[in-house]
Amino acid sequence: MTKKKALLAAGITTALAVTLIGCTGNSGGGGGGGAGASKTNCTNEIKVQDVPVVTYWGWFEDTAQTVDNFNESHDDVQICWTNAGQGADAYTKLSTSLQSKSGAPDIVQVEYDWLNSFLIQGGLVDMTEHGINEYKDKFTAGAWRDVSSGDGVYAVPVDLGPVGMWYRQDIFEKHGIKIPTTWDEYAAAAEQLSKATGGETLIGNFAPNGQGQHYALLDQAGAVPFKFDNGNPTEISINHSDEASKKVYEYWLDLVDRGLVGTDQAWTPEFNTGLGGGRYATAIYPAWYSIHIPAFQDGDADAVWRAAPIPQWDAAKPKQVNWGGSTLAVTTQADDAALATKVAAELYAPEENKKLGVEVGGLFLAYPEMIESEYFQERPYEFYGGQKLNKDVFGKAAIDYEGVTFSPFTQYYYDESQRLLSEAIAGNVSATEATDQLQKSLETYATEQGFTLK
Amino acid sequence: MSITPQLQKPAQPPVATKRGATLERKHARIGWVFLAPFAIVFLVFLVLPLVYAFWMSLHTNTLAAGEKFAGLANYFAAFKDQRFLSGMARVGAFALVFVPLQIGLALLFALILDEVKTRLSRFSRLLIFAPYAIPGVIGALMWGFLYSPSFGPLVSFFDFLNVQAPDMLSRDSIFWSLTNIVTWQWTGYYMIIIYASLQSIDSSIYEAALIDGASKLQTALQIKVPIIASSLVLTIVFALIGTLQFFTEPQVLAPLAGNAIDAAYTPNLYAYNLAFSYQQFNYASAISFALGLMVFLASIIFLVTTRKKSGLR
Amino acid sequence: MTTSPVRLLDNATATDPQKKTGNTGTRRRGKSLGLHILLAAVSLYFLLPMWWLIVAGTKSTQGLFAGTGGPLWFDRNFALFDNIAQLATYNNGIYLRWLGNSFLYAIAGGVGATILAVLAGYAFAKYRFRGRAVSFMILLASVMVPATALVIPTYVLFNNLGLTNTIWAVILPSLLSPFGVYLMRVYVQDAIPDELLDAARVDGSGELRTFATIALPLMRPAVVTVLLLSVVGGWNNYFLPLAMISDPTLLPVTVGLNAWQVQSNSATANSLIWNLVTSGSLISVIPLIIAFLMLQKYWQGGLSVGSLK
Repeated sequence: MTKKKALLAAGITTALAVTLIGCTGNSGGGGGGGAGASKTNCTNEIKVQDVPVVTYWGWFEDTAQTVDNFNESHDDVQICWTNAGQGADAYTKLSTSLQSKSGAPDIVQVEYDWLNSFLIQGGLVDMTEHGINEYKDKFTAGAWRDVSSGDGVYAVPVDLGPVGMWYRQDIFEKHGIKIPTTWDEYAAAAEQLSKATGGETLIGNFAPNGQGQHYALLDQAGAVPFKFDNGNPTEISINHSDEASKKVYEYWLDLVDRGLVGTDQAWTPEFNTGLGGGRYATAIYPAWYSIHIPAFQDGDADAVWRAAPIPQWDAAKPKQVNWGGSTLAVTTQADDAALATKVAAELYAPEENKKLGVEVGGLFLAYPEMIESEYFQERPYEFYGGQKLNKDVFGKAAIDYEGVTFSPFTQYYYDESQRLLSEAIAGNVSATEATDQLQKSLETYATEQGFTLK
Repeated sequence: MSITPQLQKPAQPPVATKRGATLERKHARIGWVFLAPFAIVFLVFLVLPLVYAFWMSLHTNTLAAGEKFAGLANYFAAFKDQRFLSGMARVGAFALVFVPLQIGLALLFALILDEVKTRLSRFSRLLIFAPYAIPGVIGALMWGFLYSPSFGPLVSFFDFLNVQAPDMLSRDSIFWSLTNIVTWQWTGYYMIIIYASLQSIDSSIYEAALIDGASKLQTALQIKVPIIASSLVLTIVFALIGTLQFFTEPQVLAPLAGNAIDAAYTPNLYAYNLAFSYQQFNYASAISFALGLMVFLASIIFLVTTRKKSGLR
Repeated sequence: MTTSPVRLLDNATATDPQKKTGNTGTRRRGKSLGLHILLAAVSLYFLLPMWWLIVAGTKSTQGLFAGTGGPLWFDRNFALFDNIAQLATYNNGIYLRWLGNSFLYAIAGGVGATILAVLAGYAFAKYRFRGRAVSFMILLASVMVPATALVIPTYVLFNNLGLTNTIWAVILPSLLSPFGVYLMRVYVQDAIPDELLDAARVDGSGELRTFATIALPLMRPAVVTVLLLSVVGGWNNYFLPLAMISDPTLLPVTVGLNAWQVQSNSATANSLIWNLVTSGSLISVIPLIIAFLMLQKYWQGGLSVGSLK
């Protein structure tokens, strides 16, 4: 009796397991081998059958609608879209797929600061071979520079992140503080605010993991941390402990030391609730932050948020900077790189999709024609009291942005920077020591990776 | 596999020894037949990866300059790599804290549960064990919420005591926060192993002691604990192996506690980041291999020094 | 369970201190009361995070951060059913897919590993084949090899074979369970006497039949234990699928939920799905908890097998 039962049980479990394996294997969930990102698991519906399909990993908030629009208006090609996540984890995945030579999509949404890291892995297609240069004039100069390396162009810009200062108008008014236009004024306002509220409300936050923001701040101060050019990919110049870099880190770490800014990790519930609940009076964040701030308002319903231009080091010589924004890159695993390039270049070309990007995605598009259009300039943002954010702040910032060069090993750079800033915030090293150590660490790493230092 | 004909011969006393010999030989073959499926998996998924890891660790592959043979250079680099060494030191410290804490508590709870047999104790046993059924990732996510300075219950608790709540995700406290998570997750599992061995002790062994007037505590420490020494050794080895491979909890908490948990917080996390974030698969293999070797040696040393007690064959 | 008369007496004392009003009772009662309070406190500690999860699973995102009941009590807005409905539909119901993947990985890997362990453990215990001693020593040593040291080289190997990002990349490495083999071997050695097998052989039973009809039924407690351990191991596995799988539709629920947490941290109004992270976590732990409650009898006995001789 018992043995029969046991055998039966064993038999059933085995059969079950086999069936389950069979099921998944057949349902085509990528179970059939590493043949690139699956074309059968689209988040969207393919509208036209039997035409080439281009796979696309993206996470813009408007992507679902934009892709549907694209597919409806094209009967020669269709997009199969998947949200494969965003941030460092998603880049790890992409990187892994590129290393694997399988599993990457044809088109992938990549932020500007990561492009060099993927192209040095041989993961991105040089779009100049597929006629991308004819689109050059459609984009801002800064955006075009950020997707170019050497003579190559490795992505199509979509949106930008011109940086401004989001601030709590109600808090500033309540304490009679003037909106700062320079970093000196910002520091003074920080002190004033902290005094007035007994340290309950701080002017802002210096996140040890805010490398995207820091890079913009470094750019504003005139630092050029990396020089790298895919035309000559084994040479690199690293200059991360010059006067300008030190000035930026010293400024912020001094505010930290004096307890005038917080040191929450960015992108955590901690910081988000802090920002939503009135702990912070400003956020030095880009245009795309407009769709984030309203998500944190549970804590303080009366908060009045507005945007102003980013404070300057020298009010007479203002410099506009960019943080984030994304591109559409074509991976070297694309079945038809020319087709994928064309799809990437045209996804946001129609007026309708641009408007979806602006209205649904909260995007600040990298097309000057859009930026300077009356529609965009005059657009009121309801959550911000109807402020015309683009006309007041971000439009000019985006047009004036000149572009930067990013590191070819972004993940390592960001991890090291975060580690050393954490040390500095903890008071274990000074700002100067942190930048010097960072410089040394980056040089060592670059040498180990076979780069020649210039 | 036709073994039946010979076996079907009825036993004849004179050939008994001969038959024994044939059986032995048969056993040899059949033994391997039974062992073969596992042996194949063992070779393919354990031996081969280890050999391959070692082979990879003897090469370097750089972003800018491609792959080349490097001998033991990766290992020399690893043992000069401050980040690897501090990660090793950290898991060493974790082992010194986790292992005695978890096993000590597990033993204590098991002895109590062996002593007290009530509905409450049965319920406690299940509750203490339950976290084992919760995946480490989810455990870490949960504790991440619970530790949150602005909305976790700890804040309310400390507010109630009128004490400034500690920031459980800060550099100073992260070590203990992780210790707490792991203790919560694993103590029950070890407790059940120890408890099960306590249950299988023939109670007549310590009845005599009780009659002789030994206290419960004395019985527990002097009779029960020595009898179950082998389970203790086993649980300690498991705890040790687990701790030295520490990965999931720091990985999940890193986004929340980025100023306290860096990419090289534990050697395993470092190896993962080297491989998947920095594309240094060769160096990552060396780190993995070196870590594996050290875990292996640590467990063997522990087992050898406790050989008499453990009785591991 | 072998319970002596003395222990039974203790049990009575412990269960119901009120009844025992005798002279020696006071001290014992005091002690056992102390132990009970200790147990209650300990239970509370182990329960607390699970209680938090139950409560959090019923909250909306807003309720999680600014609920009326605080972190450890229900919000006025009981959103469990909304959460479940959203889980089933969000991103084309990918959560259900993740649950299914977890089941597949845990059961296929667990059953496979158990079958291999049963066969190998039986071989080690009952056959004196050439190389047995050496093989078993290698096996014992391999128990000490950290599984994670294997993940990176296995990843690279699989990658060369084009197997990464498939279900096999998670299932095949899960088949390896040296500890399962060890448990089986120890158990079989003690629980199945050689005489029993010899008797079957004399009766003309073939080796495979002897194994299937005589030995296997006797191995049941150990089989259930090894099966449970490997299924739990597979269900909880994180490092292996994290490394092997990049297609979101092939992820197990552990990796998927962590990805949702990361997404929620990115914090636009549409990406805030903390309610799905918590309710998804809650639902994903229920199957294992139920399995453990139902199979209590087996694992509680079985777990002692490997350690006691």
